[in-house]
Amino acid sequence: MKFDRRLVMNFDWVLLFLVLSVSIIGILNIYSSGFSLTEPRLKVLYIKQLQWMGVSLCFMALAFCIDYRIIVRQAYLIYVVSLFLLILVFMISDATRGSQRWIALGGFSLQPSELMKVTVILALAKYFDDHKTEHGYSLKDLSVPSLIVFLPFLLVLKQPDLGTGIILIILFLGIIFIAGIKWKSMAIAAGCGLILVPIGWYLLKDYQKERIMTFLDPEQDPLGSGYHIIQSIIAIGSGGVWGKGFLKGTQTQLKFLPEQHTDFIFSVYAEEWGFVGTMLLMIVFITLILWGLKIAFQAKDMTGKLISVGVTMMIFGQVFINVGMVLGILPVVGIPLPFMSYGGSSLVVFMFSIGLLLNVRMRRFVLQP
Amino acid sequence: MQELHARLSDQQSVEFKRRFMIFFIVISLALSLIIVRMVYLQIVKGDEYRQKSENNSVRLRKLRPPRGLMMDANRQVMVENQPSFDIFFAPNRIKDIDSVMLKLSELYAKGSSNFSNDLSLADKARPFAPVRLDRNVSREKVAIVETNVLDLPGVFVEVTPIRYYHNGPMISHIVGYTGEITEKELEKDSSGHYSSGDMVGKYGMERYLDAYFKGKNGAEQIEVNAFGRKVKGLGLITPESGYNAVLTIDSLLQKTAWNAMEGKTGAALVMNVHDGSVLALVSSPSFDANLFNGGISFASWEKLSNDPFHPMENRAIAGQYPPGSTYKLVIAAAALQEGLISPEKTILCNGTYEVGNRVFRCWQKKGHGSVNLHRAIVESCDVYFYNLGKMLGVDKIAWYAKQFGFGSVTGIDLPREKSGLVPTKDWKLSRLGESWQLGETISVAIGQGYNLVTPIQLVNAYAALANGGTLFRPHLIKSIETADGQKYQQFGPEIINKLPVSKENMILLNYGLWGAVNERGGTGYVLKRAEEDLCGKTGTAQVIGLPQDENARRAKKIAAEYRDHALFVSFGPYKNPEIAVAVIMENAGHGGSAAAPVARKIFDAYFSRPTKKTGGNISK
Repeated sequence: MKFDRRLVMNFDWVLLFLVLSVSIIGILNIYSSGFSLTEPRLKVLYIKQLQWMGVSLCFMALAFCIDYRIIVRQAYLIYVVSLFLLILVFMISDATRGSQRWIALGGFSLQPSELMKVTVILALAKYFDDHKTEHGYSLKDLSVPSLIVFLPFLLVLKQPDLGTGIILIILFLGIIFIAGIKWKSMAIAAGCGLILVPIGWYLLKDYQKERIMTFLDPEQDPLGSGYHIIQSIIAIGSGGVWGKGFLKGTQTQLKFLPEQHTDFIFSVYAEEWGFVGTMLLMIVFITLILWGLKIAFQAKDMTGKLISVGVTMMIFGQVFINVGMVLGILPVVGIPLPFMSYGGSSLVVFMFSIGLLLNVRMRRFVLQP
Repeated sequence: MQELHARLSDQQSVEFKRRFMIFFIVISLALSLIIVRMVYLQIVKGDEYRQKSENNSVRLRKLRPPRGLMMDANRQVMVENQPSFDIFFAPNRIKDIDSVMLKLSELYAKGSSNFSNDLSLADKARPFAPVRLDRNVSREKVAIVETNVLDLPGVFVEVTPIRYYHNGPMISHIVGYTGEITEKELEKDSSGHYSSGDMVGKYGMERYLDAYFKGKNGAEQIEVNAFGRKVKGLGLITPESGYNAVLTIDSLLQKTAWNAMEGKTGAALVMNVHDGSVLALVSSPSFDANLFNGGISFASWEKLSNDPFHPMENRAIAGQYPPGSTYKLVIAAAALQEGLISPEKTILCNGTYEVGNRVFRCWQKKGHGSVNLHRAIVESCDVYFYNLGKMLGVDKIAWYAKQFGFGSVTGIDLPREKSGLVPTKDWKLSRLGESWQLGETISVAIGQGYNLVTPIQLVNAYAALANGGTLFRPHLIKSIETADGQKYQQFGPEIINKLPVSKENMILLNYGLWGAVNERGGTGYVLKRAEEDLCGKTGTAQVIGLPQDENARRAKKIAAEYRDHALFVSFGPYKNPEIAVAVIMENAGHGGSAAAPVARKIFDAYFSRPTKKTGGNISK
């Protein structure tokens, strides 16, 4: 590929800046969440996260250096490999904390379900690129894309990892909406869904409902989830307007918060930085999401649009569900906050996705439609 | 073509705009919801939550389950739980910790109790986490605290289960003890079932079966007032009791062995020869596991760990001794199997045996005269076995010794077992950098020299001789049951080796062991019983192992710690062996006179029991 000066000129520094700001806040937070812990293993998590940051920036670079149309050409292959890894999880990993999510690879562990999210985006982009239509897609046209999503969806549910499953559905809806599902088809699908769910629910007996609830979210014990949410809300609320200050959050430093370096990292942040801090963070996230939407809107081809929409929906979905959960307005499903929660696989996948956004954005002038 | 595409894009662009707009609205609505909620929590209700977090009014209290029980083979409880009253202090909102502590020590002093104000309390206490001030306190202290509750804000009493070991010292080396989990142990734990403050097994069965005894922590979510007292419960997970263990120990035999060994230094083991189950295990001196309840005091710990007789060491599985003459059976088995001797062949013993310029003596100074295999075992003739040793060579001896289970851990279900030592030429070269001397083979042939065995290896090897050649893995756990008595896991015999000794040779060896007890001149004559024929072999392990010192030893002028260890291994009845007994007494002199009487008491107790449940049936 010939080097084009316009690629550099169109590099999206704003997006990079937004992402790096959130990541740095994230590392400070992980440091704080492990600050007063007695277990040395957790104390040094921020160092590990810094290392992951370096790794994931490489992946980001990889994602914007190669033209996204070349990447998309290999989408099915990548998809099959990820699917294979997802199945492999069941065969080789022992159940870590009651669920099978990780594959141990030498010193670190890989979480194929994280990988699956971005893979599904690429596969869907390729499918719609290969099957263009002028009049929009009917439900029948969408049977293959549905399959692309539901296969990993079921595997992820089985792990069980409801959070990732929901994200897969959200980005799927986002992509088919922009790809051009017919309004009529959409109305039919939505209608069927709305009717079926409550009917199904009322047909169930109480103990079955309970079982479904435990199936949906088995990680938490009956007491645990309530306790976690109460403590999380107290932590966030007690932050008040200005917060208690860095490393001074009592809820955090006393380990009252569960999973405080991963799923509940937002509570740590909110307690120590208060409303001012959380608003600032939300503004960065909102800008990031709208920026992604803008990139999608301005993309010159459908592939670029769908990739950007998928990535944006993924980020939006995770921010909304994670923050909604710790604020107590959504049920507890284990899902990391993008760029903030501790976890290598998650960070790498998000940085790679941002790389894809940068990719689409910087090639919009280069591309000939 | 390109034109068409552009036109299509134009047509679609209106639709695209519309769809992106909808997208934008949905996303904005969702995110506004979050911001509204943040405003509500942090601004509208901020003060209220700040208050709550300062009071730490909602907290999770761990509820610890009672640990599993241990029972003997007849389901008699050996280890159970009792309530312990612990005094806690939750610094909570109390600004002046010192004044509360002062008040508490004053109250204690009035009630003639001590309370040592732990100076490191300020470090230990993370601002709002309760700290344990005192563990397993007397009722008096409980009363003091309870009646002065209003003067002691933040101080409260909690009841937790702790261990009670029946006849502590008698069983401590089997059951072990518990202690609070250390930071290191927490780090190592990968199961996630442990949390700080948990009691975990530190030694013996408590440690070996900790995962079963532990049970599952429960928790209670409570709202507390400013005094740190529970106002209302918000949720409860009941703790799950740990599993119980039924051991193979026969309390009657254990008691007999313990009484016979008390005040002496050494070990005694009783094993069922048909399945390797251990019926009694005594290591003396011992300690009282109850001392460890609620944390052992520093003084007690110092006393235990500085005791010259090492009461904390389980000699039965970790004591390593030269096997002495008990080793001769291995030599005899090897020589017979290798076809180096016939049982009838006699060797002349005139009291000495020369190798090069060294003279090895028989314990019988004047010699045994002409002895065949049977007499050599009965009278434990050293010269006879010097000859066999020389014929076999050290590596052949080592191979047979390993077949009998020496030189490696038996795998008994207790932690910290030692492996003993079976020397070979290679071992000496790599370990000491010297080549093997023939004279050393001669020493090895009568169980002296580098040889080291543990009592459990010894009793196990003889149990194999008794049962026709099957070496079992010794075990102490009979079964594990759930708290409500359901069988969870059953432990049966586990074969680890078959002795490479033919049936005919086995009969010869056992006959020799019978003779040692029942024939005139037998070294184990003390054991002879009218009712049942028993078999046994004495052993005397030299602590300072040079034959030249023999005269000095005879003179008994040497200090107690250099005196010989007395060994005795036996089994019975001769025709239908049921149990094997090994006794080792340190620095006690000759095996026949010092150790055999202990074995005798154990056999007496065994055969006079009303029922012989654990003896097992013999299939012929």
